[in-house]
Amino acid sequence: MNELVSRMSGVFKVPSSRFQVKYPGKVHLKVSGPEFSGIISDLARQDFLIADLFAVENYRDDTGLTLFYVFEKKGYKEFLVIQRKAEGKAPSIAREFPAACWLERGVADGFGVEFDGSYDIRRLFLHEPYPDGFHPLRKSFHGGPVRLRKDAPDYQFKEVKGEGVYQIPVGPVHAGIIEPGHFRFSVIGENIFNLEVRMFWKHRGLEKLSEGRDLIDVLPVAEAVSGDETVANAWAYCLAVERLSGIEVPRRGDSLRVLYAELERIYSLLGDLAGMVTDVAYPAGASPFFILREEVLRWNERLAGSRFLRGAVTVGGAGHDVAAPDLRALSVYLEAFGPRLRDAVSRVLSFPSVRDRFESTGLVRKSLVRSLSLSGPIARASGVLSDARVDHPYGLYQKIPPALKVLESGDVYSRFYVKASTVEDSIRILLKVIKDMPSGSIRSTARIKDGSAIGVVESCRGQSIHWVYVKDGEIGRHRIRTASFFNWRAIEHAVLGNIVPDFPLINKSMNLSYAGTDL
Amino acid sequence: MASAILNLFKPVVTEPTPWRDAEFDGIGIKLKKRIDAVFGRSLAIREVDTGSDNSPEIELVNLTAPHYDIERFGITFVASPRHADVLIVTGPVTVNMAQALKKTYDATPAPKLVIALGDDACDGGIFKGSYAVLGGVDQVLPVDMKIPGNPPSPKRILAGLLELVERIGK
Repeated sequence: MNELVSRMSGVFKVPSSRFQVKYPGKVHLKVSGPEFSGIISDLARQDFLIADLFAVENYRDDTGLTLFYVFEKKGYKEFLVIQRKAEGKAPSIAREFPAACWLERGVADGFGVEFDGSYDIRRLFLHEPYPDGFHPLRKSFHGGPVRLRKDAPDYQFKEVKGEGVYQIPVGPVHAGIIEPGHFRFSVIGENIFNLEVRMFWKHRGLEKLSEGRDLIDVLPVAEAVSGDETVANAWAYCLAVERLSGIEVPRRGDSLRVLYAELERIYSLLGDLAGMVTDVAYPAGASPFFILREEVLRWNERLAGSRFLRGAVTVGGAGHDVAAPDLRALSVYLEAFGPRLRDAVSRVLSFPSVRDRFESTGLVRKSLVRSLSLSGPIARASGVLSDARVDHPYGLYQKIPPALKVLESGDVYSRFYVKASTVEDSIRILLKVIKDMPSGSIRSTARIKDGSAIGVVESCRGQSIHWVYVKDGEIGRHRIRTASFFNWRAIEHAVLGNIVPDFPLINKSMNLSYAGTDL
Repeated sequence: MASAILNLFKPVVTEPTPWRDAEFDGIGIKLKKRIDAVFGRSLAIREVDTGSDNSPEIELVNLTAPHYDIERFGITFVASPRHADVLIVTGPVTVNMAQALKKTYDATPAPKLVIALGDDACDGGIFKGSYAVLGGVDQVLPVDMKIPGNPPSPKRILAGLLELVERIGK
């Protein structure tokens, strides 16, 4: 019997026959309303993390709303999915799982579910112009323009009161070439006393956009989740679709996916490294990272015909093949890449004024990783080995696992170091993939079945989850939860006690995706 | 002081860049001439993202990085719309960003030019018809120039700027 099932049936005092294991990677349990709260408390006591929470209307034979709570625990490769009915209301789990706060607010916006006992019931992705009672993810709403409000009251930020406390509003339009978000600082002198991050300015309605579409037509939507996570989100979407339809990816297709995914990780993380060094006013130190990044973007263009690897991954395999001479040339290039990267890193880290700005700045404590469901490099810089390639192995990573560094201190320095070492490990993976590249076809013909499945991929920022439900050959529900969605909350804690001028550096050290959060 | 004056007559001592792209530099030099003539030697750009997938931002940042380095052509990205000649808007305009975009436009001194950059900024792209977007930038602001692409490459962006500046000078 499945290890997670036998353990949890004991903890929940539920017979193991009630658990379903439909495909590797997921254990499913339907629970009734009265059982629910006890099970949530058990999960919190057992140190589970919440990975996602979403609603589906008219799921299979159900009418009304069904809620899916996705949990995971270190050491288990499966997600534990708890399914329950909503009936307009459900108890909030945000006190046991603070990361669920934004998730519940999202379900409330999308479907109109009320969460009893929640400590925050403000809207999330529907900003002030949207009318009351508007819930775009309900099946009764068929898309199209909405009658917007002009007289809407302002959003209420959390207020910190006291002598000498004042607020600094920043955004949504920022000073640099970056995405929009609003940061509301409560400050005493220069020290940050509280920060509230308000996101979702870029909400484009992606989940609704997928509904009713053909499965291949959804790929551009998945790629648009976040431009620098094009491969990661396309792959997570494809994993879900392939699982529910039982599609096997040919070996060459699997290898090419890893090739593209690691190139994406490298150019994205190089941008983070360059940005951190730029933000401590050391442009000469940042330039080598910018130069390497541009070179990788040009490799993307050469290999897949797109600097952002659009269309590189498709349902059933890879969208582009790579010719043998190009692979050999890439291998030669990558051999020289490692020493150049190490040079750039040691040049920056041997500079005392850089160390002074990086060290002990923007602390993310280890305890936050579980309560906020942090994943990816942020978690690894705060003492927790988190990487979907290891936690929930998929594709070729089952054979070529990453070798990751974990640092304990949780400051900007740790995040810089962890990201640099992740790039270096990606080069190792790439060289191995190129060396062992199998021949054969790059994709299998996709024959789509009805059903639902989850796909999880490690993007450059952490865990990216796509859950797909297909009904009558069309998408009935496409749920997306990126690493940035959870990781944004970390910055509210990381800045406390730091001075306002260090905020841009702390922000850059995380370099989260606004688009990937706002969807 | 003496060495500062002497420097004026010394030959250039920086190393040549190994990635010279004659086509890109050609566009840049033409652009610089037009900017000198029409905009008093500098073109200030303010970027506003109203719902892109962040890839246009990456390409715009790349324009300022070593391979492209467009500051040598007299182009700067400025921190405030109050200092800008041109607004570059990326992404379809979301419901949530519409007001911020209008305020940014109002804060930009006239005469001002608006560029819609990327397929979704040009006409809404794949987001057309979503409840959460109003459509392309021209649904909200007068647009002077559209640069399509998913996202447009740095060279394509520079060529678009040249086209706009040539049109304005006439």
